Amino acid sequence: MSDPGRQRIVLEVNGDRREAWVLPSESLLDVLRDALGHHEVRYGCGEGVCGTCTVLLDGEAVSACLLLAVQAEDRSVLTVRGLASGGEPHPLQVSFLRNGAAQCGFCTPGMLLAAVALLQREPRPDRERIRRELIGNLCRCTGYSKILDAVEQYAVQAAGRSGTDG
Amino acid sequence: MVAAPFRYRRTTSFEEAVAALCECGDGAKLLAGGQSLVPMLNLRVARPDWVIDINPVGAEPIEKLDGVLRLPALTRHRAIEQSELVRRCCPILAAATAHVGNPRSRARGTIGGSLAHADPSGELPCVAVALGAEVTVRGPDGDRRLPVRDLLVSFLTTSLRPDEVITEVRVPLQPARAGWSFLELTRRSSDWMVVGVAALVELDAAGGVAGASVAIGGVADRPWLVPPEPLADLLGEPPEEALLARVADRVSGMLDPGDDVHASGAYRRRMAAVLGRRALAEAAARANQEPDR
Amino acid sequence: MAETGAPTREALRIVGHSPVHHDFEDKVEGSLLYAADWQLPGMLHGKVVRAQVPCARITAIDASAARAVPGVVAVLVAADVPWNQVVERASGGLAELAVAMPVLAADRVRYLGEPVALVAAVSAQAAEEAAELLQVDYEDVPGVFDTERALEPDAPLVHHEGNVLVTWTIARGDLDAGFAAADLVVEGEYRTQRVEHAYLEPEAGVGWMDTSGVVTLRVATQVIEHAATIAAILGLPTSRVRVISTYMGGGFGGKEDMTVEPYLALLVWRTRRPVRMVWDRQDSIMASTKRHPFTMRYRTGVRRDGGIVAQDVEIIGDAGAYPYLSARVLFAGCALASGPYRVPNVRHRASAVFTNNVPTSAFRGFGAMQVTFGYEQQMDRIAAELGLDPLVVRERNFLAKGDTLPTGERQDTAVAVGECLRRALEALGPPTPASGPGRRVGRGVAANMQPYGRTIWFHDQASCWISLEPDGSLLLRSGITDLGGGQAASLAQIASEVLGVPLREIGVHIGDSQLTPPAGGTFATRQLYMSGNAALAAARELRARLVPVAAELLGADPHELVFEDGMVRERDAGDGRGVRLAELAAACRRGGVDCSLLATWHAESGTFDPVAGQGASFPDYTFGAHAADVEVDTETGQVRVLRYAAAHDVGRAINPLRVEGQIQGGAYQGLGYALGEEVVTRDGQPSSTLLADYLLPYSADLPDVQAIVVESGEGKGPFGARGIGEPPIGNPAATIANAVAAATGVRVTRLPITPQRLLGAIDLAREETR
Repeated sequence: MSDPGRQRIVLEVNGDRREAWVLPSESLLDVLRDALGHHEVRYGCGEGVCGTCTVLLDGEAVSACLLLAVQAEDRSVLTVRGLASGGEPHPLQVSFLRNGAAQCGFCTPGMLLAAVALLQREPRPDRERIRRELIGNLCRCTGYSKILDAVEQYAVQAAGRSGTDG
Repeated sequence: MVAAPFRYRRTTSFEEAVAALCECGDGAKLLAGGQSLVPMLNLRVARPDWVIDINPVGAEPIEKLDGVLRLPALTRHRAIEQSELVRRCCPILAAATAHVGNPRSRARGTIGGSLAHADPSGELPCVAVALGAEVTVRGPDGDRRLPVRDLLVSFLTTSLRPDEVITEVRVPLQPARAGWSFLELTRRSSDWMVVGVAALVELDAAGGVAGASVAIGGVADRPWLVPPEPLADLLGEPPEEALLARVADRVSGMLDPGDDVHASGAYRRRMAAVLGRRALAEAAARANQEPDR
Repeated sequence: MAETGAPTREALRIVGHSPVHHDFEDKVEGSLLYAADWQLPGMLHGKVVRAQVPCARITAIDASAARAVPGVVAVLVAADVPWNQVVERASGGLAELAVAMPVLAADRVRYLGEPVALVAAVSAQAAEEAAELLQVDYEDVPGVFDTERALEPDAPLVHHEGNVLVTWTIARGDLDAGFAAADLVVEGEYRTQRVEHAYLEPEAGVGWMDTSGVVTLRVATQVIEHAATIAAILGLPTSRVRVISTYMGGGFGGKEDMTVEPYLALLVWRTRRPVRMVWDRQDSIMASTKRHPFTMRYRTGVRRDGGIVAQDVEIIGDAGAYPYLSARVLFAGCALASGPYRVPNVRHRASAVFTNNVPTSAFRGFGAMQVTFGYEQQMDRIAAELGLDPLVVRERNFLAKGDTLPTGERQDTAVAVGECLRRALEALGPPTPASGPGRRVGRGVAANMQPYGRTIWFHDQASCWISLEPDGSLLLRSGITDLGGGQAASLAQIASEVLGVPLREIGVHIGDSQLTPPAGGTFATRQLYMSGNAALAAARELRARLVPVAAELLGADPHELVFEDGMVRERDAGDGRGVRLAELAAACRRGGVDCSLLATWHAESGTFDPVAGQGASFPDYTFGAHAADVEVDTETGQVRVLRYAAAHDVGRAINPLRVEGQIQGGAYQGLGYALGEEVVTRDGQPSSTLLADYLLPYSADLPDVQAIVVESGEGKGPFGARGIGEPPIGNPAATIANAVAAATGVRVTRLPITPQRLLGAIDLAREETR
């Protein structure tokens, strides 16, 4: 809705072209949630230290609470609901379920996206590499072990599926 | 909490950014990585009238020229961390950058932004001072160059004028037979430093110390560059543990850090000695391994 | 086994396995709607305006500028609250002062962040502006910020009733005779800190008036029973308030008391519009309830062989500015102060003391957690002074089934703490050598016991409603709330085991104060014991009704029927003949057999005599032991945890993967408590309210916790299960303190064990040895 002070931005969210009328002071987090209906991107701290609001911006994991919505103009955003394809969960999501890697689930979208971003850049991270990449994604429920199990297992699986050794 | 309203404009060049700063006046803030500014906006402790987004200015690749490593101001931390060139020519910079924040903040944060933010507990201000780095600053009257030491004036305060913007960082390349060490004490894996030490040690052909540069973060209102005087004891001497310890103790005796929620001043002073000694030892050990270039 | 006729472990089909339940799928997919993920047309933003001073008189409030902000729909102050007080009576009225807490501060502010006003506006921006323009005039009143001072006769009073909310005593035997017979007396004072739940999901909810004018709140809450209190605040009958709990993004006890509920309800009721309220993280750190800091003084008398003959414990807990659940927390601390050990002559005294600090209340472990830091360090000190192995001293004193507890109760289930300790140590493997000069390594252990189930004198009960639907699926309705520990999923798993219905054909509806039968809140590690048993009873009763109908349909012996895969078959029938549950449901309808029933599980009840200090306390306990290897950098004081193992006897693991997850997560939370977490305050003001400054461990700060699940089969929950939600958080602080002492010879008796604190202790020890 047009309104003095609001500007129209167009961005891609989970592969769909979306438009929103935003104030410059509105965060990408708030616009994704309230204007665009993406409730799966959630508020945890507003400081960028908890990882709850992690989204992929052109493939890079970032804190949605620390981006102004206007900065996402003409960019592509991926949320956790963009991981599934053809109605099927992403194999990393399957690995999370199999490993009991989610308890309250609030950190889960951020963990999944951070892991996906890592695996897109480095196809065969070991457990310690995964552990380091998840610094900054807080989990208060699991003690991280089962999350690391899930990502590690998926990484091994995905590397095996690619057939090559490097 | 939501940010207090502000007006917003984007600039695609540093010239435009300077012009915008002139037009918008004191109530304007530059937005680069946003990892320091936006939390303050979200908490409503920063309430600029204007936010000038310089992200569209972009950054050319890091390059080596005329004995310096040139990093455009908007170079993201992640790019520095992963740069083959930086790892080869200035490994201490790559090492320190890997400790900045967390992977998300390194995806967005910039070297220009870190220096402009001037947090004395930041890794990059500390290492930039140890390296003797310089920044190029653009204002309405053109460019000037100044050492990072002179840029960082006090806690979160730089010598930048309100209409100036950092455009690049220039890091002198290290001489042959130089070793480095960056050690920090943090409470957790991704926090600001309680105390951090960046040390560069150059050895002569006989294995004695030919030169040393040490900067300590987290102990004052800006990174503290160790003056020549306490380091003079090292010159010409082999870098043995006992000597390094003595020098580090002397250095720490010159400090008067304040208390905060994470550590007392006394603890910081003491850790400066411990980390100082360890960093000098590690830098000297690395120098011994360096092939003559 | 707890019940005859119950399936043996080998025969269990789904209990003891780890199937995935739908709520976890929704969480991983991202489709689960948490409390803040709810939007209604015309929804307003609600905000709590909080006091900026810790102790003051309010002399004036002027809301006119706030109300004038465009977009502001309502600004409410104390005078707008129909019944502006909540009286907790946490111990059921036993022994505690009755102190009222206002919903909105009227004339007094007693802690920094106390709610003073409420704003509802069309945008978050307008709400913030209104909050900033609310004018409150304060007159400073002297406050008291530590319990020692609060206990002095001339201390400022937090409440006119007095600064001591309650003092509990538990005593047995002859303390003086016990100490007289001791060969050695070890004294120690231990202090624990104020910590924050820091659930990732902040306090949040959405409220609206439904079409019949019922104030409906959809909130992240552990306790839907607060509906009655909310109704009283609004001056409405209970039936005019409905509380629906959402799947929470963590609770840990921080969502056990009301958080957003009364404020949301007031704004909804006043504006007649939907309102959403989400607390800022920083406000939550400043003003939400915290864990009680405890000061504990232990005096333990032992024989030369390490056997305990007497123990005297005094506990002072900082209740903060208002009672909340302090009376119960201090009772639990009092009851558990000697831990899993036989103590023939014993006295425990525990007081909850008011201060003008942020109020303290429930937090995973609930008093029984803090005391582990006391008793487990005493055990190691005893061992050190007698020159005995710390394991031997523990084993000499461990409780066994049949022993008498300090309350005079008999321990009537198996005590497998010794096995837990042995297995935790085994899991660590051989010790790791130090990694360099100035580094010291050490190994430490800590055993604990944590109650599961509510304090017995509350006559606890939980109901579960089970229905067999016409299509053969099951519907479970329970007032249970889900913290993320699989509370709802466990009920489905239990029903699936008894009735053989596949999990995907079981619907679970939870947490609605008007539509689901009351189950009591999710706290006190009670839900598996209470709602699990209720679900088990309901499923068994339903099965019992279905058996004769199925037997007749199949022409089979009712004792030979098997329920599996949604069918009922004759055991060993061979011809695969069976009846589908849908057919069975139709047959029941024809025969007038009711397939929908409510089962209520009653916990054992009893009474406690606060004067004698003897009587019923808790129904049972979960025993466990942790072990850790640490490396201390003696120049910096930093502690690195190298290896960590946590073993607990869970009786029977209903879902092993989830049980491991609780152990790993609880231990990690306990390690954060041990090494870094603290809300540091001075004169009632926190040093920082940033999450960045609250040192929660990230993935690289600690090693993987090896979870070891011991199953004694003797818990009082369904299938012999014991609760596991709280127990694992208790051991880490003492485990680390003991490991650090083993590494350095220095004992830290104050939490958290920060590098600075440890270095200070090392320095002190060096000076003393000179």
